[in-house]
Amino acid sequence: MSELLIKNGRVFDPINSINGDIMDIAIKNGKIVDDVSLSPNTKVIDASSMIVMPGGVDAHSHIAGSKVNSGRIMRPDDGRSGIEKRTKITRPCSGYTVPNTFAMGYRYAKLGYTTVFEAAIPILHARHTHEEFGDIPIIDKGGLVLFGSNWQVMEAVRENDIEKLAAYVAWGLSASRGYGVKIVNPGGGEAWGFGKNVSGLHDTVPNFDVTPAEIITSLAKANEMLHLPHSIHLHCNLLGTPGNYKTTIETMKLLEHIKPGMDRQVVHITHLTFNAWGGTNWGDFESKADAVADYLNQHDHVTVDMGQLIFGNATTMTADGPMQYANARLLNARWTNGDVELEDASGVVPLSYIRKMYIHDIMWAVGLEVALLTRNPWQVLLTTDHPNGGPFVNYPEVIALLMSAQKREEEMLKLSNKMRDRTTLSGIERELDWYDIAIKTRASHAKILGLTDHGKGHLGAGADADVTIYHINPDRVDAGREHATVKKAFEKPAYTIKDGEVVAMNGEITATPAGRTFWVNASVPEEHNTRLMRDLRLKFRKYYSINLANYMVQDNYVKHPVVIKAGGS
Amino acid sequence: MQTVTLTPIIQSKISIEAETITPDNFAGKTGEEIENITIWEGNHKTRLFEFFKIALEGKDSPENTKIIINGSIPRVKRVGEGMTDGMILINGDVDMHVGAKMCGGVITVKGSADSWAGREMKGGELIIGGDAGYYLGAGYRGESCGMRGGKIIVFGDVKDYAGEHICGGEILIKGSAGLMPGISNNGGIITIEGNTSMPGAEMKKGTIKINGVVETLVPSYKQEDDEEINGIVYNKYTGDVVAGGKGSLYIKR
Repeated sequence: MSELLIKNGRVFDPINSINGDIMDIAIKNGKIVDDVSLSPNTKVIDASSMIVMPGGVDAHSHIAGSKVNSGRIMRPDDGRSGIEKRTKITRPCSGYTVPNTFAMGYRYAKLGYTTVFEAAIPILHARHTHEEFGDIPIIDKGGLVLFGSNWQVMEAVRENDIEKLAAYVAWGLSASRGYGVKIVNPGGGEAWGFGKNVSGLHDTVPNFDVTPAEIITSLAKANEMLHLPHSIHLHCNLLGTPGNYKTTIETMKLLEHIKPGMDRQVVHITHLTFNAWGGTNWGDFESKADAVADYLNQHDHVTVDMGQLIFGNATTMTADGPMQYANARLLNARWTNGDVELEDASGVVPLSYIRKMYIHDIMWAVGLEVALLTRNPWQVLLTTDHPNGGPFVNYPEVIALLMSAQKREEEMLKLSNKMRDRTTLSGIERELDWYDIAIKTRASHAKILGLTDHGKGHLGAGADADVTIYHINPDRVDAGREHATVKKAFEKPAYTIKDGEVVAMNGEITATPAGRTFWVNASVPEEHNTRLMRDLRLKFRKYYSINLANYMVQDNYVKHPVVIKAGGS
Repeated sequence: MQTVTLTPIIQSKISIEAETITPDNFAGKTGEEIENITIWEGNHKTRLFEFFKIALEGKDSPENTKIIINGSIPRVKRVGEGMTDGMILINGDVDMHVGAKMCGGVITVKGSADSWAGREMKGGELIIGGDAGYYLGAGYRGESCGMRGGKIIVFGDVKDYAGEHICGGEILIKGSAGLMPGISNNGGIITIEGNTSMPGAEMKKGTIKINGVVETLVPSYKQEDDEEINGIVYNKYTGDVVAGGKGSLYIKR
């Protein structure tokens, strides 16, 4: 019977529409409760003049799995940075862009985050992802599963058999113990198997006679047929190519008429920093974030995240194999290429974002523009697409940039003039407030993932007792001018509380409980399953390098599961 | 002036990590404090006096501090790592990583140094009287820049990959060098008095000058007009063309 009372904090809990009210938050047995009766066993935290928010949720980050590990293997230089010795309760840490598993958990917890979703799991490699999940302490996890270039998917799309597609999605989520549908450069991963890419939404995937547009809409329909908690999660075609904003908007338009099966968006389009680009080549490269934001302001079926660029080292990793090859050639950088049999491709390329290189400067502006020009704060999540745009430890920098036009102006002085001419950032005066930040760093992440009913992203009674307390007084601090204070406060929360236990205090880890793993078990009618299994048995016999029986992630790889039920009604 | 003399009393078979032996760390300390400086023998934390007899004269700032190691220390690594000033004199051989990341001051090794001597050094001078091992003045695994500044002189021979990923500074090798000296040279100057093979593969910038015999030349170099430097006529090449490089390679005619 552990009880905790957080007294007199300024609470920002957007899901329950609490905007800075002075309140007590009561916790009992790891859950938020309406009230606790003060007993000698009740621990009390005095949070007066501090900000209290739900524990941070990150809906898109690359924290575990074969890609992350490829990054570690090819970057011994990264492993030598960020070395922290073990303490009595923590294990040794290393790395900056691709930290070791322990550091992933500790650093997120130290930053006030308690739930993080891995954004790309190939089913075939899911066991690896779960093994790393098991090693990442403290935070709760979940993962999105790649379906965009999968043979079984494309065949069902070609036959326009949405029932069978839904059955496969349900089976794939179960096989990988995954949470949602991730689509990366649909069709492109398969084309890359032949050294090619798809050139747009209506280009045909070699040997499959389907187009990316058909793959996206069919998967969206299957996703909604299954009533999955999260929508499809999409990395658009032509990402990383000048002029790709047209494809991005066209993709959003494709999905305007699909009815969501749950109370949420129909599609989440990820890391806009890399796909709201104008121009026709690197010479006339410019930001078209304003056009994308315009569309977002008129439509509510789409949510996006920033994928904000952070100057300095990054390790780009994605299932978008052809894009990564182009990247490696362009930058003359190291390159890892991966092929996931019938499922997808992947690539890892380390790089550095450098101030005054106007392409990087413009990319830096794109993420901020999208977040600031889109009126509805719930529609744009704060992410850095860790570690593609930059490591997640830089979130406080992004928060400060969003809250302070002055900081943006100071930062722009260090950047190239072309950035000013080719983006709208210098004309944007909007400054986000604490409530907006609470939305963009936890509430909306949980809502978009469909986790609010499962206790994440808010502080209502019954929610998981994940709470972050920041050492900053919103009455005293003018975030617009004192952006350095804001950044410091978000870098080292006074307390991070996970399931009612204080896991970090002032940047030091104080406890290391194991986190849970969310996955979705969706049921489908038996007849569709039977048809699907006939296909799958053939595929495993003819093409896969392993047996169907060895394919599924066994339950003992997922030590602390939270199974969310879904399925057709 | 502060002079600290370390005389090895036992030779460990297990390697000793001694990045704490620097003028910066010794300056202003008493004899007792220096004796108790931490070093690691394998995974075992120990102190300096377990391996060295220490004699101290005077007390001064790092730039006026001289460390003399009287004898060979073939299993002691990382001596002088990151030092910014002062002097280290080793009257014998030394293990790997001597003078790694040093920024200033002078290290003189009377004997030979093992691999990674002067790795990623930024400034100062490293003089090796005998031979040096692999990766002299190179970048460590995965690093895109090796040596960035300062000077390394080796009077004997060196093994392969001297000055790998060198981005600045100067390496002078009086003897011969192994395979691929100056591989991925990105702005450093390497002079080899003796023989070598395949110099400057993937060179982008910088200069490599060879007064001895080059056994094999990487084919991706463009021959230019001969040039005379200090009375010696050199065949001049530019490349490495494969890496789009504009480095200069001089080979004595």
